[in-house]
Amino acid sequence: MDVNHIFSRREFLLVSGVMVVAVSAPQAWGAKEAPLIIMDQAKGLIIADPTKCVGCRRCELACSEFNDGKASPTISRIKISRNLNFGPKGLHTGQPGQGTWGNGLVIQDVCKQCPHPVPCANACPNDAIVVIPPTNARVVDSNKCIGCKMCQKACPWEMMSFDSDTNRATKCFLCDGNPKCVEACPAEALSYVTWRDLTDKVPPRVVPTAVVSPDKAQTCNDCHMK
Amino acid sequence: MVKHGGWAGKVLRIDLSTGRISTEDTIEKYKDYLGGTGIGYRVIWDEVPTGTKPFDPANKIVFGVGPLAGTGAPCNGRIAVTTLWPTCWPKPLVASGHMGGHFAAELKYAGFDAVIIEGRADSPVWLQVVDGKAEIKDARHLWGQGIRRTTVDINQQMGPEASVAAIGQAGENLVPMSVVINSYSHSAGGIGGVMGSKNLKAIGVRGTGSVRIAGDKGEWEKVVKLHLSLLGSVNQHVVPNSPQPWAEYYSDTRWVGSKGRKWGSANPNIDTGACDPHNLNRIAYRTNNAAFFLGEKAWQYTVRGNGCSSCPIRCHTMLKVPSVSSKYGIPAVGQNTCVGLLFGRDFFKTFPDGPRGQTAIEACMVGMHLADDLGIWENYGQMQRDFQQLYYSGTIKNKVGEDEFKSYSWDQYEKGDPTFLFELLPRIANKQDELATSLGLGTGYLLERWDIPERDWQQDQKIAYWKLGHPKHHSSEEAGQCGVIINTQYNRDVQCHSHVNFIRNGLPLKVQKQLAAEIWGSSDAVDAVAAYSPMNIYKAKMAKWSLLRKELHDSLSLCNWMGPWIASPLKERNYRGEDSIESLLYSLATGDKKSREELDEVAERIFLLHRALTIRDMGTKEMRTQHDTIPDWVFTDPAGKAPYTKGTNRMDREDIKLAMDMYYEQMGWDKKSGSPTVAAYHRLGLGDVADELTKRRLVP
Amino acid sequence: MEQKEEIRLIIAKIIRERSETGQLVQFEELLTELAAQGLLNSDVAHQRSHFEGVLRQVVSENEDIKELSGRNRIPHYYSSRSLSETYAGIIVRKQENSLIAEIVRENSAIYPRPVPLNIFREPPFDLTQEEILDCLERMGKQGEYQDIAQTTTSIGTVFLYSNQHLDPAYASTLAEWSDVGQVNNP
Repeated sequence: MDVNHIFSRREFLLVSGVMVVAVSAPQAWGAKEAPLIIMDQAKGLIIADPTKCVGCRRCELACSEFNDGKASPTISRIKISRNLNFGPKGLHTGQPGQGTWGNGLVIQDVCKQCPHPVPCANACPNDAIVVIPPTNARVVDSNKCIGCKMCQKACPWEMMSFDSDTNRATKCFLCDGNPKCVEACPAEALSYVTWRDLTDKVPPRVVPTAVVSPDKAQTCNDCHMK
Repeated sequence: MVKHGGWAGKVLRIDLSTGRISTEDTIEKYKDYLGGTGIGYRVIWDEVPTGTKPFDPANKIVFGVGPLAGTGAPCNGRIAVTTLWPTCWPKPLVASGHMGGHFAAELKYAGFDAVIIEGRADSPVWLQVVDGKAEIKDARHLWGQGIRRTTVDINQQMGPEASVAAIGQAGENLVPMSVVINSYSHSAGGIGGVMGSKNLKAIGVRGTGSVRIAGDKGEWEKVVKLHLSLLGSVNQHVVPNSPQPWAEYYSDTRWVGSKGRKWGSANPNIDTGACDPHNLNRIAYRTNNAAFFLGEKAWQYTVRGNGCSSCPIRCHTMLKVPSVSSKYGIPAVGQNTCVGLLFGRDFFKTFPDGPRGQTAIEACMVGMHLADDLGIWENYGQMQRDFQQLYYSGTIKNKVGEDEFKSYSWDQYEKGDPTFLFELLPRIANKQDELATSLGLGTGYLLERWDIPERDWQQDQKIAYWKLGHPKHHSSEEAGQCGVIINTQYNRDVQCHSHVNFIRNGLPLKVQKQLAAEIWGSSDAVDAVAAYSPMNIYKAKMAKWSLLRKELHDSLSLCNWMGPWIASPLKERNYRGEDSIESLLYSLATGDKKSREELDEVAERIFLLHRALTIRDMGTKEMRTQHDTIPDWVFTDPAGKAPYTKGTNRMDREDIKLAMDMYYEQMGWDKKSGSPTVAAYHRLGLGDVADELTKRRLVP
Repeated sequence: MEQKEEIRLIIAKIIRERSETGQLVQFEELLTELAAQGLLNSDVAHQRSHFEGVLRQVVSENEDIKELSGRNRIPHYYSSRSLSETYAGIIVRKQENSLIAEIVRENSAIYPRPVPLNIFREPPFDLTQEEILDCLERMGKQGEYQDIAQTTTSIGTVFLYSNQHLDPAYASTLAEWSDVGQVNNP
């Protein structure tokens, strides 16, 4: 079954064996396409060890150059540069604790391939963030992306990139199971492992400010309300 | 106009006198000079007239990178800084410095290949460059602050990702022995005062753009991975320092990582392990310059490696030495590499616990802390050697007044107490007294000021002085005649490592000779250290190759402390590297296909322009006798051994005359004067240069 | 037929796995290991000579499997996928009196360079200070090691060299360069 097949909540629930009590009117099958809700977990995850990072930024270069043909830490889907000098808290909360100017620790920011509910996907008005097997990474479909940046606002870890040349969002797609950043790291600071949920283990970088559209939000009822 | 990859496309020009900011098209104006020192020499030739002095507003500073800066090509994180050199004695001439860190890459992402600084601001300013736009900003509140306070201040304004290159009090006070530093520990020596003379406190750069790779991204990935596969440790040493399971050879190289040697102050500690060269995920563990230079004790203090953007080698070592905070009141964490690490230690003749003990390490920490904030330059350790020589010969005592002499704690100094540095270094940065001022002038002007004949410095091998106020840099002590030739060619200490990276790479002589035969035409190009054979044409070819590749690297943005890459750690390649790696990277990144020979020709053009500038501003074409000079100590041996016997580095005058002959011949220059001929200039597209020099009667 | 081939595959595997940990396998160890896996029958004497033949076949069949013996002629086996001949040679000769001399001679000949004495305290030599000093004393008394000599640098580091390949002045210059000169020429 195509994991991104958009179908009604009722169909899903029937297939997964859960009883449906009510179906909201706008979701009536055939009246309007139901929004995409990603439920399948990712299979793989990149994890990063800050105690080994040597601040060379080769991960950023591999990600952007080998995928996009241009070197750009700004587009890179693994993010080092913003923490390199002063740590994730930067300079606006007092003494720099981490980074080159602090204790030397470089925190690498990596996409957690969030489980359901996936903030970036849910924020997208065009359902442009989809799941691609076999890694089930959450990936921006650039044909559907309109460059509104709602996904950027939705990610608590600010992991969405925006390519101003193409006017499209982009994010970590695990390089089809062979992440280039992991391959590129000269200090063995990155690993590609079986997916596990890190969303409640890594402090957020920002308070997300995107909203989930009402018709998407409504579908929560379809699955969760008994 | 074909759109090239690699280059950002624009050169930024800042006139600090008028405040005018303008841009030029890199490809239109400078493509034939690539970038870096190429653009630097071209600008100085075109725009800075003979007779200009380094601190005059008419002098210019060219911060330049090349098409490879900011890309994923290994070892591209360097920016060249070209200007008239304040410590060049007796007459200032063009020279270049370099700094690593992240500044080079950030400049490319901001959309610029170079920044040309002209004129002089009326009051202290700093330059802000953000994504294609530049602004001159008031720096009066920063003037008087150290490099670190300045950097943090500017980062607060520009955001934490901005890269800031700043001068300290030394540069502000027009101390010739001063630096500009970015990314905490990456300095470009010699130019701090030039920036200070222009009232330019710092340059802050922020770029969210990209560097485009013109070629197929899959092909690019392959070439980058090829390059990575050929890397050794720092300075492209390709043999480990101790027997390793995977290694056929082991020698006294800088590849010091091994099982049992740990980054002791990483939390938790990390064993560097055997570092099989096929494992590209462990390149960063091969090198520990702190351990190499300071001794085994440094391992326990090593937090991790650090260094320039894009480079997997990490030749800077971040050290955490807890004792220095309580003992000296300085941060426990410091970092630098090579000479930068040794800044503090090298002042002292002796330490209570020896040259590799705790005190020596503490002296390094104190030295880095002070020098990298005050922004003092050491001229490849020459300041320290001069200091030792002048103290222990009684000269300092004679030259400075009694009061001044008494104001220094010489007992501390003689004991090897790092506290002494707190007295000495701030005084140098602030030109506070006779000793400090003199040391800050640079060796040439120091000797002149104190009526010491330069000849005295040129007799003594230990002082390591070469000419024009600067020391040797990898000369006869490791590369025989090739090293001597190389050391004659510049106007400061020669920042060329092409030859020494090969010679010290750890391979047995037989293997080095095999590789030498392939690259320079005969196994006779290389000898074993201290077992030199008489001059031959292949050594001249090696010298030419070394110099050209240095200019190529400085213009492309590749690190000449790592390249070229003609040897590799791979037995299956018979330890061959790839002599065309520069051309492969350049062609794919820019889309401008150039073979190795074609690219070397561009490098020759750049090198020739440096030669022309030197001739023009010296006002003589007699380069052989007036410029390409060799100090007497090169022709001596402390034990009186004869030249070209085993166990001596002593050169023979006739043989070196022949060496220079052969070198000039290789270059296509006039042998008698050592000057490029008109034909040589024309051959390399420098017809306008030939014309100008002809007008001035400066061609043979 | 199949079982013999299987045994050879297992032997190769044991050798390779052991090499990955930086060790070589001796003849006896292989025998023991195979017996423990129940792959040998109880007639050990017969097994031994037959086994030599099997091992020869393993070496000739596998490009990476090598045999190396020290002076005691005990065969050791390793895989060149993990270990170089140089390294394997050091491990094999570790217990031999002549190891230090041979290493010093090799280095003096091929690089050429004198060897710092303390290299022998480090892996893979792992000798104690006493063992090294004993060895030096013994070498001093034995005719065949008269070429092994010492030189000390200006900061007190002791180097060994073979005067078959390096004369004293040359060795002293090289030792000084290695220990002091290289650091003074960063």
